[in-house]
Amino acid sequence: MAALPQLLIGIGAISAVTTVLAIIMVIADATIANYGEVTVKINDDKEVTVTGGRPLLSSLMEEKIFIPSACGGRGSCGLCKVKLTSDVGDYLPTELPWISDEERTQNIRLSCQLKVKKDIAIQIPEELFNVKEYVTEVADVIDLTYDIKQVMLRLVEPKDIKYKAGQYIQFQVPEYELTSESVYRAYSMSSQPSRNNEVELEIRLVPNGICTTYVFEHLKVGDQVTINGPYGDFHLRDTEVRALFIAGGSGMAPIKSMLYDMLEKGINRECIYFFGARSARDLFLVKEMRELEKKLPNFTFVPALSQPLPEDDWKGETGLITEVLDRHVKSGENTEAYLCGSPGMIDASVAVLTKKGIPEEKIFYDKFA
Amino acid sequence: MKQTVQLREIQERMKPGVITRDGFLGTDRRNLIDILQEDDAEIKRRNLTHRGIAERMMQLREAGKRGLGEFISVSPYFEVRVDSVRGKLPCPFKHPGLIRKTNVIVRNLEKNREITYTDMHIHMIGEHGFYEGKGSAFRLEVKDLVEVLEIIPLEE
Repeated sequence: MAALPQLLIGIGAISAVTTVLAIIMVIADATIANYGEVTVKINDDKEVTVTGGRPLLSSLMEEKIFIPSACGGRGSCGLCKVKLTSDVGDYLPTELPWISDEERTQNIRLSCQLKVKKDIAIQIPEELFNVKEYVTEVADVIDLTYDIKQVMLRLVEPKDIKYKAGQYIQFQVPEYELTSESVYRAYSMSSQPSRNNEVELEIRLVPNGICTTYVFEHLKVGDQVTINGPYGDFHLRDTEVRALFIAGGSGMAPIKSMLYDMLEKGINRECIYFFGARSARDLFLVKEMRELEKKLPNFTFVPALSQPLPEDDWKGETGLITEVLDRHVKSGENTEAYLCGSPGMIDASVAVLTKKGIPEEKIFYDKFA
Repeated sequence: MKQTVQLREIQERMKPGVITRDGFLGTDRRNLIDILQEDDAEIKRRNLTHRGIAERMMQLREAGKRGLGEFISVSPYFEVRVDSVRGKLPCPFKHPGLIRKTNVIVRNLEKNREITYTDMHIHMIGEHGFYEGKGSAFRLEVKDLVEVLEIIPLEE
């Protein structure tokens, strides 16, 4: 029985020590772990001062330098890579799944995971300096199909944007019932570069998707929306060879932008656009594409339905878009291809195109995943 | 059964902001062990297995992939669409590797019902018997899975 008081004293002592240590850690975090202001030198040229201890991605964003990211800094998209030219210590476990062996030798880091605790130097593509944040106003929201909306954003500040047809922007979703903080999602622009005071998007509903639910259930004409961009390397190459465009669903957006851009620039190279949908209710902008056929002399639009309904009375191409592609393209000689759609569609299309003899380096795509 | 240290660590990884913005637990305040045990009891009561449920989910996903991102008919009266968004996620149970953010939408036209699940669900159900906590936007109820996907109980 004499051991019981000693045991209780022991437990009390351990609890007291633990409490004191916890308090010390809280104080340390607020004081010692205060890294103050640190500098980020970019491309051996520009220098910005940021608050130490915060992720590089958000620190740069506050300085209006936007690194592409599709997950809002959660470390789940692997997009926000930057090259470090100064030492910042070992890789974090959250970075490693995204970094290849070659990237490790080049000191490529995931900017959303890397906290800036001292002065660092980085290198980023020069074109990212052209990325800006834009305040916009919703000018129009149109139902293209039952699950795809066209959203027109009029630029408020800055009032115009420069980009290449095929590029994308990031749409900032504000806090609402599905998210307690604002998040960004990437969407291709369907408007062409000459319409430089507006940005048109085609957005397909994703079940439980934070951004698409916001667009489908909350977004209305007159709302203010913040975007940043442009991003991406998906654009029409300056060649004379035949171009094949292949898309499905909201993958229409960048292809539409490229086609109208071709029209305005008088580019008359041969091009065929294969657009896949399931049934007639999934098709959209067919009339516009038919009008384009009249204006672009070497352009052919090939919509295809994989499972047309009897009431569709469909007289056009049927089958999966890859089957239609296989039937139409006899040879891949002097041809390049531009694809936008689901990863499954892209992978299957690339397989058909390479079988036809189109080298992989001539196949350009904007995979949604 | 008591919550182990290992399960406590896993439950921490399931909280909002660690792996996903909203986490895997929703408004569920129970220990992970209790969440797992309740769903496991439901599975046993229905004479099913977690692995069997995951296999049915996979089977429909594979059939749906043929639609190349669009809905496709799957015999006898299902429609399935498989699509992905950019990115991959680690398993909260610390399995190695990353899991693609793939969405599978299954419509049961006979029952006029629909269910959406992800590759992460298939993994967590098949490997860990975890259907997410109550109140999670991505919680899958065993009852809904069984009814919509028409999962047949094991032979007695």
